[in-house]
Amino acid sequence: MKRLKPFAYREPKTLREAIRILVGEGPRAATLAGGTDLLVRMKQGVVTPSLLVNLKRIKGLDRIQRPKAGGLSIGTLSTIAALERSALVAKRYPVLAQAAGFLGSPSIRQLATLGGNVGRSSPAADMVPSLVVLKASVIAEGASGKREIPLDTFFKGPGQNALAPAEIITAIVVPDAAPSSGAAYVRLGRREGMDCALVGVAASLTLDGAGSVAEARLAMASCGPVPLRARGAEAFLSGGGLAEERLREAARLAAGETSPISDMRACADYRREMVEVLAYRALAAAVQTDRKAR
Amino acid sequence: MKKPIELTVNDELMQVEVEPQTTLLELIRDGLHLTGTKEGCGMGDCGTCIVLVDGKPVNSCLMLAADARGRSVTTIEGLAKGAELHPLQQSFIDQGAVQCGFCSPAMILSAKALLDEDPHPTEETIKRALSGVLCRCGSYKKIIAAVQAASPKES
Ligand SMILES: Cc1cc2nc3c(=O)[nH]c(=O)nc-3n(C[C@H](O)[C@H](O)[C@H](O)COP(=O)(O)OP(=O)(O)OC[C@H]3O[C@@H](n4cnc5c(N)ncnc54)[C@H](O)[C@@H]3O)c2cc1C
Ligand code: FES
Ligand code: FES
Repeated sequence: MKRLKPFAYREPKTLREAIRILVGEGPRAATLAGGTDLLVRMKQGVVTPSLLVNLKRIKGLDRIQRPKAGGLSIGTLSTIAALERSALVAKRYPVLAQAAGFLGSPSIRQLATLGGNVGRSSPAADMVPSLVVLKASVIAEGASGKREIPLDTFFKGPGQNALAPAEIITAIVVPDAAPSSGAAYVRLGRREGMDCALVGVAASLTLDGAGSVAEARLAMASCGPVPLRARGAEAFLSGGGLAEERLREAARLAAGETSPISDMRACADYRREMVEVLAYRALAAAVQTDRKAR
Repeated sequence: MKKPIELTVNDELMQVEVEPQTTLLELIRDGLHLTGTKEGCGMGDCGTCIVLVDGKPVNSCLMLAADARGRSVTTIEGLAKGAELHPLQQSFIDQGAVQCGFCSPAMILSAKALLDEDPHPTEETIKRALSGVLCRCGSYKKIIAAVQAASPKES
């Protein structure tokens, strides 16, 4: 049987206690959420934490709620399965439910958390592109208090992020979407279930009163060292209409803005070509969700 | 260091001692000798280790036993009532959906979680619900047929 090497283990009941334990142990401590990433890497021997701080006995970190000020606050321990079925998510941010449906398998989604997907900071993370186009931020808490980090500036490299040592993600917050807007996520794996994204593209479009694009956002998974924005394509789209040629041109621009790698799943050239295909589909689907919303 | 935890396994409340690094799969197979639950990959990919925790399928190779504290675990051994097989188990036999049988416990438990929630799923829904379990014998068609046949008849 594939076994885990022994480690020290704590189940704090409060966030404060968790932070104190992390600070005390130093860099070899790791936070455990769903474990679908961390335990795999521990079994592979890629990481060897001396102490696991399991967050799951801290109450209230799995809440999905609408704060008084609007938007949505998704507790870090919310599972991907919970996002897939949440009525609140389906109503306000269907793109998140859609992205959740792509992640792993039904049984992985029962364990995997949103905070773990963001905290792992893999360029292939499936929840991240949609969160980026929705302008989400990370709420993190550490020894020196609480802060909000926009997702746009959160990722620093493959597996690297803006969290300070011993800082814990407590929630992901998403502001209200603009009235006339839509978003969609499209991704390609080698098979439909259970494979990480070869390429994933999320698009959001906000229209002004005249029906032109007031704001466009495109974010891509597995296209570079961090989840990428296609800023050139976004700039091209804004101010213009939604004619098919314009969406296609934007998709072409987006493909040019990527720096994918070649690995056993796909080569860089194939990924770049697929970005163009998927970016067009994501934009076209975003237009559709907008029409449905109105 | 071993710590006692209390959990329910197949409707029986029990106290067991587990190390922090013990996975739920190790507890079930090595500790409780319920060997119907299999290990294929140990990494979340094959799904043969799936059990139900509070009625939902999870990969027991990626869950710490400590996280099962206070929860209710169902393994394939918990489905039959005495000598009477669960309708899904009977259906897998009737439809010839069991080849080597290595994936069958996980397939049946995943299907149970599905039917408990959606008694009349479409073929697409069944495929999605079973997408995390690999059948190395390629028995998928018969497995899907077995789930369809086990879906309660509309009265
Ligand atoms: C078979 C399989 C298929 C998968 N398929 C996909 C897929 O299709 N798409 C995809 O995106 N991912 C996939 N994954 C990866 C993984 O399941 C997801 O990234 C998941 O969301 C991780 O969440 P978790 O709660 O399990 O994280 P964990 O494994 O608990 O943690 C992951 C990392 O984040 C850190 N972390 C967790 N929570 C916090 C927190 N609150 N604050 C700070 N740091 C934290 C941990 O320390 C660790 O480094 C797959 C994994 C497996 C095993
Ligand atoms: S043994 Fe758990 S998924 Fe393969
Ligand atoms: S019956 Fe042999 S693995 Fe499915």
